[in-house]
Amino acid sequence: MIEVKNLRKEFELSKQQRKELATDAKIAVAVDDVSFNCEAGRIFSLLGPNGAGKTTIMRMLSTLFKPTSGSITIGGIDAIANPQEARKKIGFLTGSTGLYARLTPNEIIEYYANLYGVSKADFTERKNRLYDLLDMNQFQNKRIGKLSTGMKQKVSICRTMIHDPEIVIFDEPTSGLDVITAENIIKLIRDCKDQGKTVIFSSHIMSEVDLLCDDLAIVHQGKIVHQGTMENFRSEMQTRNLTAEFIKIINENKTA
Amino acid sequence: MIATIFKKELKDTLRDRRTLMTMIIIPIFIFPVIMTVFLKVSEGFAEDVAKKTVNIGIVVTPENMNFAKTIENLPKILGKKKVYVYHDSATVQKHIQENRLQFGVFVPADFAKNSIENKTSKFKVFYNATEMGMKDRAEAFLNTFEEMEKAKRYKALKVDPASLSPIAFDYRNVASDKETVGKLIGGFLPYLFIVFGFVGCMYPAIDLFTGEKERGTLETLLTTPVSRLQILLGKMGVVVLSGVMAATFTLLGIFLSIEVFQIVKDPKLLEIIHQILTVKFILLMYLLLIPLIVFFAGVMIPITVYAKSFKEAQSIITPLNMLMILPAMVGFFPGIELNAITACIPVVNVVLATKELIAGTLDIGLLLLSFGVMTSLALLAILFSYKRFDRESNLVS
Repeated sequence: MIEVKNLRKEFELSKQQRKELATDAKIAVAVDDVSFNCEAGRIFSLLGPNGAGKTTIMRMLSTLFKPTSGSITIGGIDAIANPQEARKKIGFLTGSTGLYARLTPNEIIEYYANLYGVSKADFTERKNRLYDLLDMNQFQNKRIGKLSTGMKQKVSICRTMIHDPEIVIFDEPTSGLDVITAENIIKLIRDCKDQGKTVIFSSHIMSEVDLLCDDLAIVHQGKIVHQGTMENFRSEMQTRNLTAEFIKIINENKTA
Repeated sequence: MIATIFKKELKDTLRDRRTLMTMIIIPIFIFPVIMTVFLKVSEGFAEDVAKKTVNIGIVVTPENMNFAKTIENLPKILGKKKVYVYHDSATVQKHIQENRLQFGVFVPADFAKNSIENKTSKFKVFYNATEMGMKDRAEAFLNTFEEMEKAKRYKALKVDPASLSPIAFDYRNVASDKETVGKLIGGFLPYLFIVFGFVGCMYPAIDLFTGEKERGTLETLLTTPVSRLQILLGKMGVVVLSGVMAATFTLLGIFLSIEVFQIVKDPKLLEIIHQILTVKFILLMYLLLIPLIVFFAGVMIPITVYAKSFKEAQSIITPLNMLMILPAMVGFFPGIELNAITACIPVVNVVLATKELIAGTLDIGLLLLSFGVMTSLALLAILFSYKRFDRESNLVS
């Protein structure tokens, strides 16, 4: 489970940035008073346009960024006070995730398993299972640089799941991928839910959210402007479709 | 965890062609190749100069026609020559410029008279300084001629040449041959070590920090339960090892040049070099070199952490390379010694201490001071790198 309370993130603006943004303010607020809960066995989606603050929230959840204020609890662990312990429970995957081009899938998976302290027996069992599931046996010893985008994405998935994380964070996981490759990610998210894991994913594609999520929060200009279950969102909709409803909510909160 | 990161980064680095070039291939082959080419070219040049027939233009007046004949009859050991007689010096100068003559001599009209009266005659010697080695050939011919003229005068004056040399100085070098060689050319070795140590660190540092950020792998690595200090130390270990390896391969290149390509022909010099390159010398040199390389890595890492692209990192580190090489050149200048002040100047202290080490005159107190200064700076560099690496604004692009 993930519990987020009154999360705020400020970034100091450099002189150059102030000039570019035409502002005198010394700080920029990327995330402002954000609170939500992600339950185990459910898929939570953070939806928002580009630059809304989704990635900053995801980076705080994955402990890459320290919040300016607020609290984050990951599987019962205070992620701000004890980030290293919290990271043990997290699997993190982004659409822009890169892999080491000069290493092979086997070497990368083993490296991450070691970093997470996975025992040899667990490593072998999980690796075999994931390789069979993702059909990776054929290219396990080929260098990443020689693999196709789809193959690389499978390696990324395997890398994310090798320590069997309790909580999985996907930051725009399908961005830049073709439909076939994106399907692997969609399947992974569903599998995580079936296994009772806590899943949070960010996206700006409404159809993807509709397909997967149980709960959603719409983020705009660093704030949550709508939060609830997907079921309620559908039933309370005032427009023809989900995308139109998403645009309506964003537009209503534009000046806010 | 540091070992896990170190092993992975080392494997990754060793598969990078650019790093292999700067760490192994260039250091190991550059010295033998440069020295072999240099020696072949200079030997060939010296041989060409010695073999070449020298065309000599002699400007004479009817009173001293004999001069041209005397030059023509000089011993053959001085090399092949052809003498041409001229009557004006302008044509001689023109022919030298046109490369038809190698040098020309203007013999004054009063030379024969001055000889009889035991007076000095002023000869003008024309030569082209751009034609290397020809002034030396001219001097060899003319000095021989002068010695012959002196001998004639001694005989005519009935003077024993020894009676004109009241003192014969016998200069004795109290420094050992090893010390002399060490002080004269000892600056060369630390210079090579510093240059290759720095370049050896450069590509792995950029690849392991900026490269990882640029390729989008750093973000994932930082979400693992490994502390940033452990990640930094694991990566830094590979950067330092690459620098040390580059310096080691440079040493190996020098060893190959001496032992396999046999660039040192002088047996005495070879014996001195063998005396210098002992196990103790190499160990003490590494004692100085390792903190220096850690310092280099510590200076480079904050830059590579800050830079957003490989190009940006390279454009900042390349000028820094010059900044490090300049103090390394201090070893080429005679008279700059290792003392309490120079031992506190980074890079300079390593160069001077290595030079003293080669000469066998290193003061252990100054060695420890240099080591202490470099180790402290290396630790500060690690701390600074950590502070930079821990800044979230530097970690994700």
